[in-house]
Amino acid sequence: MDCPTCEAMVDAYVDGELSATENAAFEQALAECPGCRARLEAARDMSRLLREMPAEPASDLLRARIERELRSIAGRPRERERERVRWLALAAGLIVALGVGWIGGSMLGQGIRETDELVAGYLRVAMSDSGVEVASSDRHTVKPWFAGRIDYAPPVHDLTAAGFPLLGGRVDLIDGRKVAVLVYRRNQHRIALTLWPASGGNTTPSVDQRDGFALADWRRGGFAMRAVADLSPAEIKTFAAAVDQAVAADR
Amino acid sequence: MSEAPKPDAATVERFRAVVLPHLDAAYGFARWLARDPVVAQDLAQEAMLRALRYFHAFRGEEARPWLLRIVRNTWSDLRARKGMSDRPLDEIDDRPADGPDPEQSALAGDRRRQIASALAALPAEAREILVLREIEDLPYKHIASVLDLPVGTVMSRLARAREKLAAELSNRLGRKGHGLSDL
Repeated sequence: MDCPTCEAMVDAYVDGELSATENAAFEQALAECPGCRARLEAARDMSRLLREMPAEPASDLLRARIERELRSIAGRPRERERERVRWLALAAGLIVALGVGWIGGSMLGQGIRETDELVAGYLRVAMSDSGVEVASSDRHTVKPWFAGRIDYAPPVHDLTAAGFPLLGGRVDLIDGRKVAVLVYRRNQHRIALTLWPASGGNTTPSVDQRDGFALADWRRGGFAMRAVADLSPAEIKTFAAAVDQAVAADR
Repeated sequence: MSEAPKPDAATVERFRAVVLPHLDAAYGFARWLARDPVVAQDLAQEAMLRALRYFHAFRGEEARPWLLRIVRNTWSDLRARKGMSDRPLDEIDDRPADGPDPEQSALAGDRRRQIASALAALPAEAREILVLREIEDLPYKHIASVLDLPVGTVMSRLARAREKLAAELSNRLGRKGHGLSDL
């Protein structure tokens, strides 16, 4: 076998695409051809480097989003209990993954437990429609719903004009305290805005991102604001700006 | 493909068993096509739903290349819809060394970071074929079906992609005439 042939076979040999006969012929030719042996080594090194890169599996969040779609298409009521258990397991796994990831993150002044609780709250509204306890795009329905359920009146705004329609709200527990969660939508994504009264002046949102998942943390109009969504950092900043604008317009 | 009948519960169950196990592959491919984790999740999700709609046309061939082909077509459509071209990496964002997981790559040292960022910097045509061969580990025949190309074209395109990657790596290392084994 002459060298150009041998050369042309290196890739197919490394890729395991040669027949047994071709393999044998190639290996024989190789024994007599140092140039092609070097070429083979280089090809193998390149392949090994690529294969050694750590794989990034689909996140639990993505899995859960697809589950939600599949269930809404196929929804069989008798399966609901099983699905619920499966979903809870997913959520627990995701909370662990994100909580651990965020320990080293830049969430100043924010406990791991609070982050976990925020993410858990987000999952409840993102993964199932039953997570939204009051489903309405009308702030005059959502705002009064909180009266008697929590001990403060959260500012509620429909942000449709800014591209974030209001879907509704729910009550959650953060650090043992009942807090208001407002649920917004951006295209097919959901955003959970958790807010409670806090002292101190306004701050600009600090945004942390993990696994295609973003959390914004800021203070505005006497409220601590936490927004969680499977959005890009830039989009969650846009959302925070829309919230700020609406809160400022109230005054 | 023809207009799909609405999938029923039995179809969804079969889809779960046959296609859903390849979600990691779909996401991994999407991650290298889009080079952005948020976009990749949207792309993988949309491709999965599209796969479900087309599942009536699935004839029991290999599910993974079938799904990866849908991921790729969905990506083309997304880009066309948003008027995106395949931008050079440095215009997408300013994160350094954009492998699938930059932090993990950093922990694993320079070598993995270099190869990940070199691969991410390749033009789409070279990047996708290398990912299909080396990361998804598809044989030529299946790469041909994902990319809708003859096997001969797969071979020549793959050879060119490998040359490009080797050149990109040498560039990054800023050394002339280095061997890959130096990495």
